Amino acid sequence: MTSTPMTARRIRNGLKIPLMLAPALGLVVVLFGGGILVGLGQSLGYFPAIGLNEFTFSNYTTVLTDRNFLISLWLTFRIAAVTTVLSSVLAIAFTLVLREKFAGSKITTFLFQVPLPVPHLVAASGIILLITQSGLIARIATAVGLMDTPADFPALVFDKGGVAIILTFLWKEVPFVGLVILAILQSVGPQYEEQARTLGANARQRFRHVLLPLIMPGVMSTSIIIFAFTFANYEIPLLLGVRFPSTLPVVAFREYQDPDLALRPQAMAISIVLAVVAILLLIAYRRLARSAVK
Amino acid sequence: MTAVSLRHISRRFGDHVAVRDLNLDIESGEMVAFLGPSGCGKTTTLRMITGLIEPSSGDILFDGESVLSTPTERRGAVMVFQKHLLFPTMNVAQNVGFGLKMARVSREETAERVKEILELVDLPGLEDRKAHELSGGQQQRVALARALIVRPKVLLLDEPLANLDANLRITMRHLIRSIQKEMGITAIFVTHDQEEAVMLADRVALMFDGVLQQVGAPDEFFRTPRTTGVARFFRNGNFLRGHRRGSTIHTDVGPIEIVSTSETVEDGPSVLTVRPEEVRLVNEETDQENVVPAVVTSLIYMGSHTQLTVTIGDTPWQIQAPAAFQARNGDTVRLLLPRGHVSIVADDDTATTGSAEATLAEGSAVL
Ligand SMILES: Nc1ncnc2c1ncn2[C@@H]1O[C@H](COP(=O)(O)OP(=O)(O)OP(=O)(O)O)[C@@H](O)[C@H]1O
Ligand SMILES: [Mg+2]
Repeated sequence: MTSTPMTARRIRNGLKIPLMLAPALGLVVVLFGGGILVGLGQSLGYFPAIGLNEFTFSNYTTVLTDRNFLISLWLTFRIAAVTTVLSSVLAIAFTLVLREKFAGSKITTFLFQVPLPVPHLVAASGIILLITQSGLIARIATAVGLMDTPADFPALVFDKGGVAIILTFLWKEVPFVGLVILAILQSVGPQYEEQARTLGANARQRFRHVLLPLIMPGVMSTSIIIFAFTFANYEIPLLLGVRFPSTLPVVAFREYQDPDLALRPQAMAISIVLAVVAILLLIAYRRLARSAVK
Repeated sequence: MTAVSLRHISRRFGDHVAVRDLNLDIESGEMVAFLGPSGCGKTTTLRMITGLIEPSSGDILFDGESVLSTPTERRGAVMVFQKHLLFPTMNVAQNVGFGLKMARVSREETAERVKEILELVDLPGLEDRKAHELSGGQQQRVALARALIVRPKVLLLDEPLANLDANLRITMRHLIRSIQKEMGITAIFVTHDQEEAVMLADRVALMFDGVLQQVGAPDEFFRTPRTTGVARFFRNGNFLRGHRRGSTIHTDVGPIEIVSTSETVEDGPSVLTVRPEEVRLVNEETDQENVVPAVVTSLIYMGSHTQLTVTIGDTPWQIQAPAAFQARNGDTVRLLLPRGHVSIVADDDTATTGSAEATLAEGSAVL
C-alpha cells in the first residue's frame, strides 16, 4: 500500500540534490567543457575561423618534439614542485611556532595571514620593488656598505632558476597552508600530545608520531591545490621570469596572443598537454602520499 | 612500584587558586581516589603529578626523590585522560604499543606485549581495529591497556568511567581494581562519584575548592566524617548542635552520649551527626539513653526502605526507616541515636568551603 508513495518520495529525494546542483553544474559544463572542447578542437587542427578543417596531430608532434618545450616543461614542473614542497614545510614550521603563546603571538599570527587576500599580481610587484638589482634591499645593502653597487646584488628576479617566482608563490601560499594547519591544530587541541608525553614521547617523537599524522591529510590536500595552481599560473612567471626559458603557461599565453593566428592551435596543444601532465602528476602524487601516510 | 608524596603543593591560575597546600603520601601499590565536586582541582592535581603543569609551590616526590625537574616524558607517571584519547591515525595495536615504540622496544616484543595486555583488558584480537570502530567501553579499555603496557611508576586515571553506562561502569571498576592489585601499581584515580571512590580505592582523598578535606579508608567517611561538608558529600545531612562536656553533648532535646575518643576534643559548642541508616525508631516506653523526640514531615516509600524526614527541634533529619513503617505528617516519633554511631563533626557550614550541595544552594540563592 504505502510502498508506491514511499518509492516516489525516495526517488524525489534522490533527485533533489542533482536538481538543485543543475544550474551551477550546467554553467560549469557549458563554459568550461565548451572551452576545453574548442581548445581540443583547435589543438587537433580544427579551426574553421582561419580555414582549418582537417583533424591532425601535427600540432602535438611539433610541440612535443620541440626541445624548448621540454625545457619549459621541466622549468614549470620545478617551480611548481619546489613551491609545493617548500610552502608545506615552511607552513608547518611557522604554525608550530605560531601555536605557542608568546608575547606578540597574536600580532604575529595576524601578520602571517596578511598575504592571504593580496592578489598575486600585487605580490609580484612587491617582490620586484624589494629584490631586483635596483630594488629596496639592494639599495639599502649598498647604502650601509654591504655592497659596492646595487648591481652586485644577485639577480633573483628575471633569473633562469625562477627564484623570484618561487618567492612570490611562497609569500602567497605559505599562509594558505598555514591557515589550514592552524585550523586543524585548533580543533585537535594539545591533548593528544599531552597523552603521548605521559606515555614517554619526547618532543621530536610527538611531532613525528602524533602531530604530523594529524595534520598530514590537510597538508596533502592543500599542497595538491597549490601544485595545480602554480603549475598552471601564467601571470607571475610572465612578470618575474626571463624571456627564455619560460614556463609552459607563459609560452602558451604568448603563442595565443601572437598576431599570427596560425600559432593558436599550437598554444592549445600546449595547454592540453599541460592539463594532462598536471592531472597525471596529481594522480601520482596522491598515490605516493597515501602510501607514505600509511 | 613507587611511593608518591605531595608536599604542600599549590597551583594558581592567575588569581584563582585551583589547588591549595595539598599534602598527601601515597604508598607503593596503593590505590587512592581523588574525590570531589566538579572544579575542585582533581585534574589539576593529576596534571601536576604527571608534570604537564608545574605546581606554583610545593614539591612532588617519587620514592623520596623530587621529580619536579624530571620532564613528563621521563617521569613515568602515565595518565588516562577524562576523554580517553586514542590516537585517531593509529589502529588498536599501534595505540597500545605507542609507549613501547617511543621507548624503542623491538617490534617482536611490542607485538607480544600488546597481545598480552589486550587479553588482560579482555579485548583479544582487536589489534587491527581503528579507534572509531570501537565502542566507548572498548576505547576506554584500549586507553587503559596503552597506559599499563609501559609499566608506569604511577597510573593516573582521570574519571576513567565517566562516559560509560552503568553496567559497563561496574564491569570496568572490577577490571581496573583487579589489574591494579595484580600488577601492584601505585594508582590514583579521579572521580566525583562517592560510590565509585568507596568501591575502588584503598584510601579516599576528598577535596573541596582545591582544599583537601579528609583522607582515609572509605569507611571513615561514613563513620567519622571530619566536617559537616564531608558528611553532606557522603549523603548525610543529619546535624544537631549542642554543647560538649566530656563524653556528653547537651542539646535542646536532651543529652546525647558519645563514645569518648582518645583524641582530646575540647569541650564547647559542637555539632553531632548520625547517618540516616544508623538512626533507629523506638517506641514510647523505652528508657534508653540517646532517645530524642522528632516530628514527621515527610515519608517516601522507596521499596527496600522508607525514607523518613523529620525535624528534631527545628533541624531536619533524614532517616532510613523499615519499608513497612507507617506514620502521618505531624506525628511524633522517638529516635534512638546509637552511641557508637554518633560522631562529632567540625562545622564548616559558615565557611566558604562546602559540599557540592552547599555550593549549589549558595549558587541558587544568588540567582
Ligand atoms: N589551564 C587553566 N587555566 C585556568 N584555570 C584553570 C585551568 N585548569 C583548571 N583551571 C581551574 O582550576 C579549577 C580546578 O580545575 P580542575 O580541572 O582541576 O577541576 P576538576 O576537579 O578536575 O573538575 P571536573 O570534575 O569538572 O573535571 C577550576 O576552577 C578550573 O576552572
Ligand atoms: Mg577533571
